[in-house]
Amino acid sequence: MATSAPPSASVEARVEGRRPTLEELKERKARSRQRGQRTGELMTLSLGPQHPSTHGVYRAELDLDGEVIVAVRPEIGNLHRGVEKLCEHRTYHQIIPLTDRLDYLSAFAMNHGFCEAVEKLMGVEVPPRGRYIRTIAHELCRIANHIMWLGIHVMDLGTQTFFCITFRDREYILDLFEMLTGARLTHSFARIGGVAKDLPDDFDYRCRKVIDFIPKRVAEYERIIKYNRIYHKRTKGVGIFTAEDCYAWRVTGPALRAAGVARDLRKDEPYAAYDEVEFEVAVEYNADVYDRFLVRMKEIRESCKIIRQCLDRLPGGPFLARDAAHSLPLKKDVLRSAPAMIQDFYHVFHGPHAPKGEVYRAIEVPKGEMGVYIRSEGGPRPTRVRFTTPSFYHGQAVPALCEGEMIADFVAIFASVDVVLGDCDR
Amino acid sequence: MGLLDIVKKAAFVDILRGMSVTGTYFAVDKVTVEYPKEKLQPYPRFRGAQALLTDPATGDTKCVACMLCATMCPSQCIYIVGEQTPDGRSRPARFDLDLSRCVFCGFCEEVCPEAAIVMTQRYELATYDKSDFLLTKEKLLANQAWVHKELHRLEPNDRGEG
Ligand code: SF4
Ligand code: SF4
Repeated sequence: MATSAPPSASVEARVEGRRPTLEELKERKARSRQRGQRTGELMTLSLGPQHPSTHGVYRAELDLDGEVIVAVRPEIGNLHRGVEKLCEHRTYHQIIPLTDRLDYLSAFAMNHGFCEAVEKLMGVEVPPRGRYIRTIAHELCRIANHIMWLGIHVMDLGTQTFFCITFRDREYILDLFEMLTGARLTHSFARIGGVAKDLPDDFDYRCRKVIDFIPKRVAEYERIIKYNRIYHKRTKGVGIFTAEDCYAWRVTGPALRAAGVARDLRKDEPYAAYDEVEFEVAVEYNADVYDRFLVRMKEIRESCKIIRQCLDRLPGGPFLARDAAHSLPLKKDVLRSAPAMIQDFYHVFHGPHAPKGEVYRAIEVPKGEMGVYIRSEGGPRPTRVRFTTPSFYHGQAVPALCEGEMIADFVAIFASVDVVLGDCDR
Repeated sequence: MGLLDIVKKAAFVDILRGMSVTGTYFAVDKVTVEYPKEKLQPYPRFRGAQALLTDPATGDTKCVACMLCATMCPSQCIYIVGEQTPDGRSRPARFDLDLSRCVFCGFCEEVCPEAAIVMTQRYELATYDKSDFLLTKEKLLANQAWVHKELHRLEPNDRGEG
């Protein structure tokens, strides 16, 4: 560790527009961790579980030496609901509402991840329209999640109005979701082999209106905080987590991309319609809290682009696979024809039939990489379901992220990796 | 740091820039509604409390007590006891839905082969009395007042919803 810099050295010593080397980042990290006054006496502070900055019910025991965090002992599990165990007693269809409650801020992404895994297990092909609708919903989810993240992150740093502005804009997306899926937060919208419903009539028009003004709103957010010196002081050079650290702690998503790694499963292992649309992976290089903010703002803009392309190229045809063994029949068919009604009864009383085997499928949800592992002994229920959700890994990296930093930066750093406790505790 | 930067910092240009955004909202129409006085209309697909639809031909509920909704329900909150009427129809003698356990996933509506149970626009469900959460057959039939007219007006065979 470079120990030559005096504690007062500016942590903002970053050269804009140039990619820092790993050594430079490490040096900055070391410098950031030398700030603060130490008294040589340890104090233990219990933060949470009801502290507003802990984004749910996260409790951390901090050992403080003066203003410096010496050790963090996170305590998770306050929101544990046993989702994985519950999955073992439900058919694949019935698990879909459970996945809503993992990361309740981006519920569709969770539905989508689970359905992708089940489709891989059962070998179900999703029709093109279904894939496009999934892509649209997933990206709307990403926008809503990042906007919400921004509001809460900046509120943790001390602004209140900004939180209201971001929540107003998230509301437009929730309205779109209500129109499309019928629920504002827990959508339960993805189905094995597609999505539950087609796009409603004026969805195209309204969705375009929203994605036209979201980039303008993002510009507005940037006008408020991107040039704000207080925000710079609180975030630049703080909470540096290099690519190496990210690999070591399995930190993914915007935090990894802010460390200069262009890892995005939407590009690397395309699913849904991501291989048919054009978009850029947002990458920044300084690996600090500020760059994680920049990455997320870029991602919102890219998501708007993706949605616009999907709406332009939306193919016709069915939105749910016509696969009698694995997907629910359409309601209108059930009301009209006997075979569809029998299929309906089969799916309810038996469940979709899965072959014996095991699968792992990972997708890029707004917070990072979400993997679903399913083991099946054959039949309608899984033997074991395991969700590897990003928040859990981000939560476990908090000690590595925060130790040596100042107590005042804890909330900024904690928020910057985007932890939602429903996702973490499951 | 250049002279311009120092001047900018001294004049709080960055802060004022941010405040200008906040300031413009004085002049913009407000987006909030005064909730209890003014209510928002949910979208047609909104999944509120359930209702059982009446069959105009018999005056009784369309439900044939096939148990699909009760089996599919992920939180197992529907309890049905079926019975046979003298003219050979089957219908539910009891149809209880426990709203306090319902997760509003809409699966009951989705699997019902008679389009008998539907999700309504009713979203004000808070109550002082726990027993209000138990929707009996009568309450479910009364909930028809909140059914979205466009979506469920048509006869089942014409319903275009997926
Ligand atoms: S909405 Fe879902 S949880 Fe509620 S009664 Fe219907 S199937 Fe059960
Ligand atoms: S699925 Fe429909 S017809 Fe069958 S019991 Fe439920 S409400 Fe009645």
